[in-house]
Amino acid sequence: MISFWRVIKFGFQNFWRNPWLSLATVFTFALTLFIISVFFFLVLVTQTVIKAIEEKMDLVVYIKDEAKEAEILQLEEAIRNFPGVKSVKYISKEEALPVWQNSPYSEETKQIVTPERNPLPRSLQIKVKSPPEDLEKVTIFLANPQYQNIIRSSTRTSGLSYKKNKLIITRLGGITKFVKKIGLMLAIIFLAISILVIFNTVRLTIISRKDEIEIQRLVGAKNSFIQGPFLVEGVLYGFLATILSTLFIYLLLRYTSPLILQYLGEISFDLKQFFTSNLFRIFVVQFLIGVFVAGLCSLVSVRKYLKI
Amino acid sequence: MIRPLIDIQKVSKHYGQIRALSRVSFAIHKGEFVCLVGPSGAGKTTIIRLLTCEEKPTFGRILVGNRDIHLLPKREIPLYRRKIGVVFQDYKLLPTKTVYENVAYALEVSGEPTKVIKERVPKILELVGLSGRANNYPDELSGGEKQRTSLARALVHKPHILIADEPTGNLDPATSWEIINLLFQINKKGTTVLLATHDREIVNALRKRVVALKGGKLIYDKKRGKYIV
Repeated sequence: MISFWRVIKFGFQNFWRNPWLSLATVFTFALTLFIISVFFFLVLVTQTVIKAIEEKMDLVVYIKDEAKEAEILQLEEAIRNFPGVKSVKYISKEEALPVWQNSPYSEETKQIVTPERNPLPRSLQIKVKSPPEDLEKVTIFLANPQYQNIIRSSTRTSGLSYKKNKLIITRLGGITKFVKKIGLMLAIIFLAISILVIFNTVRLTIISRKDEIEIQRLVGAKNSFIQGPFLVEGVLYGFLATILSTLFIYLLLRYTSPLILQYLGEISFDLKQFFTSNLFRIFVVQFLIGVFVAGLCSLVSVRKYLKI
Repeated sequence: MIRPLIDIQKVSKHYGQIRALSRVSFAIHKGEFVCLVGPSGAGKTTIIRLLTCEEKPTFGRILVGNRDIHLLPKREIPLYRRKIGVVFQDYKLLPTKTVYENVAYALEVSGEPTKVIKERVPKILELVGLSGRANNYPDELSGGEKQRTSLARALVHKPHILIADEPTGNLDPATSWEIINLLFQINKKGTTVLLATHDREIVNALRKRVVALKGGKLIYDKKRGKYIV
């Protein structure tokens, strides 16, 4: 037990009595953790944005006024059974009215439509599972001549022509795939680089104490008594680096969040809000990475010199 | 016949093609003061490294207290090292610890209670004349003070054997004699001392047992001996 407290004491002593080395190590750690975190935030933001856009991507089929109720039901059923379709929602003339009133047209234009005189068409709102590909398939399906007597020719996606946006949608789909597939790979590479940086930093601090380790051995210190303080020191590095890195992230988000918010507009994913509500979790994850890597590295590095 | 404390039996040590020691045998009894002499490269340091378990002999064996120290399991080596005290030419002090802490460290490793440490360290510092330097770091000490710290550390855990590897190698003659005098006093109190040195004057003045090595071979072993080689 007394050895345990001595190990802890020596760990802190090593830290304080090599202030510059300790400071440099902590900063290297903090920057590495910061880079990992920023990368994960980027992946997160991209994914959230894409998800939000996908959520908004739908296909609206406008129904001709002369179409009969039964025909519409039949079409709705056919679309619902089409592979890749998530949901189909029927929107009556009455339901279309408030949507029109909220649209960004001028008041005069809005005045044209009133409950008594409602030229708005009935419509089917289609949501699909994976937007770009499935939307295209549904569009082709709807081009079938048997439906042309009930569907208005001006079928649109989200109020914009589907064909015009096809390019954008396909590109967006590409980004989604890229982020999903490459994101993971990049994350692993980043993590590997960070571990190497931390490993090297810890190794350097230990190499600089090679002689001390030898002396400790010659005085009759057990290996655990020599390794212990290094482990304590590593954990201390990890802890301080996490605090610093979290502070960096906070500052970064504080100044960039409004810009991102402004840029993304209606998608409105508040990063700072996300950060604040997940502060504890972010801190813990970073701390665990930092402490685990630093601890492991110090153990591995010291071992080398314990085999004298 | 009394069993020797250290029994070196036909020990050879080869580093690749280099024969550092060839079939060296000698024994040291409890309470003896032995000078191990010889020019650089004679094998003095090799013998000391074998005694501290930093190296294993290629042939032969070394018994300390009737146990073959090179058959000790790995985890018992630290325990063995706590029974011997070693002083080095380059002092080997921990640079981030004060004089007091360096000496205390030798007790801390064996889990001695803080009370014992607080009692014993000041006493041993007084013995080597470093009471006033307890809170200085090794950087702030002179060569002689560093060596006295090293000596205090080697003695604080009351070892059976004190091994000194060229303790005066980096010191001027006057300071060297201070250290040798300390070794002498320690030996008088009953600790066995093995002093490796190539300082002719000191060896001749001491008139203690001399074991001489040359080219890895034992060439001379005499009580009240002189420096020959």
